[in-house]
Amino acid sequence: MDDNTPVIAFSKVTFSYARGKALFQDLSLELAGGSFYLVRGPSGSGKSTFLRLVNRLEEPSRGQLMFEGRPLTSYNPPLLRREILYIQQTPTSVEKTVRENLLLAFSFKNNRDLAMPDDDTLRSRLDNFLLNDIHLDTQASTLSVGQLQRLCFVRGLLLNPKVLLLDEPASALDEESARIVEETAERLCAESGLTVLMVSHRAFASKWVEHKVLKIVEGQMEVLA
Amino acid sequence: MTTEVVSIGLGQLAIGLVFILLAGLASLHHALKLEKDLLVGTVRTFVQLFLLGYILLFIFKLDNAAWVLAIFGFMIFFAAWEIRSRVKEKQVTFFWPLLVSMAISYVIVSYMVTAVVVGVTPWWKPQYFIPLGGMVIGNSMNAIAIALERLLGDLRKRRLEVEAMLCLGADYKEASKDILSTAMRAGMIPSINSMMAVGIVFIPGMMTGQILAGADPLQAVRYQIVVMVMLVGSTAIGSLLVVYLVRKRCFGKGERLLLQPGND
Repeated sequence: MDDNTPVIAFSKVTFSYARGKALFQDLSLELAGGSFYLVRGPSGSGKSTFLRLVNRLEEPSRGQLMFEGRPLTSYNPPLLRREILYIQQTPTSVEKTVRENLLLAFSFKNNRDLAMPDDDTLRSRLDNFLLNDIHLDTQASTLSVGQLQRLCFVRGLLLNPKVLLLDEPASALDEESARIVEETAERLCAESGLTVLMVSHRAFASKWVEHKVLKIVEGQMEVLA
Repeated sequence: MTTEVVSIGLGQLAIGLVFILLAGLASLHHALKLEKDLLVGTVRTFVQLFLLGYILLFIFKLDNAAWVLAIFGFMIFFAAWEIRSRVKEKQVTFFWPLLVSMAISYVIVSYMVTAVVVGVTPWWKPQYFIPLGGMVIGNSMNAIAIALERLLGDLRKRRLEVEAMLCLGADYKEASKDILSTAMRAGMIPSINSMMAVGIVFIPGMMTGQILAGADPLQAVRYQIVVMVMLVGSTAIGSLLVVYLVRKRCFGKGERLLLQPGND
């Protein structure tokens, strides 16, 4: 892949849910690596679906998507999703401890090649997200939705993805936590070249990187600087 | 010990209908509106059971393996059809995996019991194969339906959890491992529970029938034990196969969950 290859490319992508109207119609779009994109659009316009298409939780009815110059379909889906990490709007945990939730991904056979982080690493990651008072042995089910949202964020970032898909990350968070999540995504974008696609309704003022706005308008995407 | 069977004449059967009449009167008196159902139910009981009796007589006389297996296949097909109508699922088709799972488990279990445990020669001898096989089908189809309903229901209800795991690099098997076990357990527990309660809480129908027909109660017990063991075996094999095969169909290309919430 040369430097000019878009990290994600949509090529004439059409998508509709069963018996529904097409959310995207012949959508072609190229997203540059290491950029920060804010995905905007009215409710029901397909913002979450747009993210879900990028990590293959949805399949286009027509057209194709590329990741680093290769069709998405040519990747092993679990490995693709490790690289293109999607963080759901509604955070979910398994009925286990905070530690086991954080290390959940490392129990999957496709992730056996990854080094498992130790307790100190987990601790410092949690602290960075204002989860200082959460013990690693605490049951995840006792966390508040906001704490769980941040735990899911930490859990995902442990996989060192190349692309981060954030679906309304701030919806369950207070102002301060929301700011930390957004700033962390921005900082990773600026420092490590992480590509971020973030769906958000909030007013957003970037501090670390120039962001672009992807606005969904009638099944097409307008790119605004 | 074998005693002579007291046969029931048609007149005596008709006297039995007094109970239906009483139930009908109760329904009329309390405006339960069950009279029609009672009438249809009674007629169907007579027609279906006599029909079954004549079919069994016919098959027993034929004494032909192909016929016995054809009837057995027909019974399995209808059991699968019944489950299909009961499990209301529109997003994923599951009839063929269901039929295959039921056929495999019922054939294995019925064959093992008639050929090896009871030791009938030939193993397909209709007097043994059809009633024993029929009991397995009738009792374990509920278990298979429960396992299937649980699998589809939980995959839909716990969709976010399944997708969260897929997003972290799990394959579809890892992402649905817990749901699969829960569904299998749900299917198997009733047959295990009935092993706990049999003989204390209830006297099974087959054993009662054998005793009424003059069989030695201890022989009837042995047959009943065989049937209970068959049920556990067939629910285990059937539930296992059906949840494995149907789970695969719930995930589409690219290991993504096809079941949408609330759109069944």
